[in-house]
Amino acid sequence: MFSYFIPVFFIIIFIFCIIKKVKPYDSFINGAKQSIPFAVSIFPYLVSIFILTELFEISGLSSLLTRVLSPVFNLFGIPTELTKLVLIKPFSGSGSLALLSEIFTKFGVDSYISRCACVIYGSSETVFYIAAVYFTGAKTKNLTKPIIISLIASFCSCVFACFICKVL
Amino acid sequence: MNIIFIILITLCTFILIFTNPEAVLSSMLNGGEKALDLTLKLVVIYAVWMGMTELLEKTGLANKISNLLKPINMLLFGELPKSAEGFISTNISANLLGMSGATTPMGIKAVNELEKHTNTNYAITMFFVINATSIQLIPSSVLALRNTFSSSSPSDIILPTILATTVSTIIGILLVKIFVKR
Repeated sequence: MFSYFIPVFFIIIFIFCIIKKVKPYDSFINGAKQSIPFAVSIFPYLVSIFILTELFEISGLSSLLTRVLSPVFNLFGIPTELTKLVLIKPFSGSGSLALLSEIFTKFGVDSYISRCACVIYGSSETVFYIAAVYFTGAKTKNLTKPIIISLIASFCSCVFACFICKVL
Repeated sequence: MNIIFIILITLCTFILIFTNPEAVLSSMLNGGEKALDLTLKLVVIYAVWMGMTELLEKTGLANKISNLLKPINMLLFGELPKSAEGFISTNISANLLGMSGATTPMGIKAVNELEKHTNTNYAITMFFVINATSIQLIPSSVLALRNTFSSSSPSDIILPTILATTVSTIIGILLVKIFVKR
């Protein structure tokens, strides 16, 4: 049902183009040509985030942090096996997706751990990536508060995810 | 961001000096390469979505959407500058509908627009938190992965995911309302 959504939405736009006598080709080109400068402007931010993620992983800091934080996360009902996913998700979407398939192979796709991992993956966002990209060219560099709030909210959703997967 | 960056990068490099000094530069380059890959993918996604969004604006549909979302916007952000409102509304509706490609260009435009006005710190924070905890209706990449692993019921996780992501967004909004001054 959801797969119809985008095409139907586009059709509505095209019909409106005809009704409103907008030049669809020119307008599309006008919009699309902004994409390259736009991607160029976010590139350095992406590089810095990816470098951090790589170093974080390869230095062993992430597994160290996983070990230290596991007992704390356990208190909130997050299983030890999922600590790493909770930690990686705010930094890297592709990294956590790779981790997700690792978890599937290890525990079986329909196990509690795997279902839990899916919900955690699906319900939280890559907070640091969004912070880097959204504030491209912005003057406000004071992002501490918004980032902390988002991380707390994401953590709550992880706790909730582990709980709801037990119930459902 | 500067503080987080310097702490993380110093700590990681420091550890690697003892464990694996060759890995420092190679993993930095590796990270850069991944960033370039992603950027190339994003160029394409943005080209399509920014093209479509231009049509959305030119046809006046963007204004219609923003009128539709006006009550929600008022509740979340308070009074908004007219120029930013369209971008914010399109961004929020794209978020709700899971069109993740469309959210980012609109989001950046909205932040830049908000920045031109004074006293928009609250709105910017709220807007960021909503995006960083965004409600996702269909976790499509997870569903695809569950399918490849031949799960007996891949769609099992949709309802819990929607519930969990709603929880995170509501908590985020409440935290902003409590801790950020208007």
